[in-house]
Amino acid sequence: MRSASLNKKMDTLLRMELAGELSHSKKSRLLRKLHANKLAVLGTAIFAVILVLCVFAPIFTSYSSTDVDLRNRLTAPNSTHLMGTDQIGRDILSRILYGGRVSILVGLGSALGATLIGVSLGTYAGYKGGFLDATVMKVSELFMSFPQIILVLILVTITGQSLWNIIFIFVLTGWPSMYRMTRSQMLSIREEEYVQALRAFGINDFLIPFKHMLPNAIGPIFVNITLSTAMFILQESALSFLGLGVPSNVATWGNVLSPAQNLTILRDNWWIWLPVGMVLTVFVLAINFIGDGLRDAADPTQLG
Amino acid sequence: MIHYITRKILHLIPMLLVISFLIYLGIELMPGDAVDFMISPDEMATVSAEALAQMRATLGLDKPFIVRYFIWLGNLLKGDFGYSLQSGVAVSTLMANTLPATLELSVAALLFSTVVGSFLGVVSALRKNSIADNVLSVFGMIGVAIPQFLFGLIAIIIFVFRLGWLPVGGRMAPGQEAFLQRMEYLILPAVVLGLALTAGVMRYSRASMLDSLNRDYVKTARSKGLPEWRVNLVHGFRVACTPVAVLIGFRLPMLIGGAVVIEQIFQWPGLGVMFLGAVRAQNTPIVMMVGFFSVLLVLLASIIVDILTALLDPRVKFN
Repeated sequence: MRSASLNKKMDTLLRMELAGELSHSKKSRLLRKLHANKLAVLGTAIFAVILVLCVFAPIFTSYSSTDVDLRNRLTAPNSTHLMGTDQIGRDILSRILYGGRVSILVGLGSALGATLIGVSLGTYAGYKGGFLDATVMKVSELFMSFPQIILVLILVTITGQSLWNIIFIFVLTGWPSMYRMTRSQMLSIREEEYVQALRAFGINDFLIPFKHMLPNAIGPIFVNITLSTAMFILQESALSFLGLGVPSNVATWGNVLSPAQNLTILRDNWWIWLPVGMVLTVFVLAINFIGDGLRDAADPTQLG
Repeated sequence: MIHYITRKILHLIPMLLVISFLIYLGIELMPGDAVDFMISPDEMATVSAEALAQMRATLGLDKPFIVRYFIWLGNLLKGDFGYSLQSGVAVSTLMANTLPATLELSVAALLFSTVVGSFLGVVSALRKNSIADNVLSVFGMIGVAIPQFLFGLIAIIIFVFRLGWLPVGGRMAPGQEAFLQRMEYLILPAVVLGLALTAGVMRYSRASMLDSLNRDYVKTARSKGLPEWRVNLVHGFRVACTPVAVLIGFRLPMLIGGAVVIEQIFQWPGLGVMFLGAVRAQNTPIVMMVGFFSVLLVLLASIIVDILTALLDPRVKFN
């Protein structure tokens, strides 16, 4: 049964190869496999659309995200306010769009920051090993033994709330997992013969890991960047929703959702929390699709 | 076995010492000390500097930092966790009051996610690529992407406001103490908290079940003529359980973190609500002690996971 289906697959592949359909050498293999993954394409499209809407927010909405209009409080969606207004009359659509800028900045910025620290430490320490590696490993264990949100909240208590503090805290709590992932990649690449050869040639200790080994570990790193971006966006929204993330005068997706803590608003004014909640969920879902697609594309054991 | 467990616990001690030191550093970093909180601001002007210094001396606040740390650590071991800056109540009392509620919620969520998650995972592994499998994997993806608090809000809208089946929040109505009466309060927060984990457990148990079904020992079991359910459950599922047990251990931090948010939404009077209140009020002793406590839980859970792994998977040996 199983071997029959495998045989059939092999036959189709053979036929395609003979017909010359498999010889698409123009595009890179990674891009091609990514393209073949429909969910990843969909994810990229959604990601791009939401990103463009947020970055070019002034084109799509004429309202500010912070201007209070007490005459138009809690108005349902209508022709002037396409998605209605919140409890102090701020336009929901512009809050979602401008809020997206900050939420995406926090998510992407923290993920990139954590990656920069985690990957550079992991690359060097993973290659060198020894005392440095053991120390950084212990420190990362220390960070990882806290539940993430508890550690974040402890740091919020110490540093206080601000946009840059939140990004700083996310970077500080996010690098250990990046470090461990890169390190484990390095440990296996280190044993490859080409690395031994490079070492025998006397190439210096920075060039070998960063120039010759890191490119071979880049697949999982990209996967991790996407997944941590999604995670940080979710975390920011939860923190801001609770009033402990980005200060409430800055619009972020979490802050836009925050009025829904009030049960009356939750029950009677769906436009305040439902659209922004959907945008947030769809955006995170899109990033996850891209991440899954990247993972499959970067995995050399899969056909493509 | 006992040797193995003791060694694991001994490995924990240096880690806990370092973390407790950092926690104490965090408490000390906050502006003001105990004396500043003991005297109200309008009295502060009338108290002389010598009197303040003397108060600090009697409280041991004039000693060097490292000495104070060890005094604090000693108190900690005796069960003295410090005092709330707002109410002056002992942190240990506050924690003892709120901990049962949090445990109740977490255990319920953990049970729910383990049972439902591994059941659904096994079902979708046994019926790979069927409609049920695909529907479940879509739900799994959405379950990971939707923020937990948003999911809680949607659950409140549906089950409280639209259907009116369940109460909106709290842990029990006044006068209701019996567990069965409280069940209706527990269901919604526990399921919402558990579902985020369920998606992960499901994906994991599906993958590990698929993996173990392709192994040689399962084929051997089948070729011996054992009934299919026995092959799947005893030979396949037992080994497939190992990564699931590991996952549950690793998800414990997520569970604690999730409990903080979910308790707030459902007004569940647990550790999480207290913790958030303390973070808002910059009530450092509570924040730090809850933090320390959560680390302790996570580290203990990781030991339990190691032991469970060894018990579940016959290939893992103690040593």
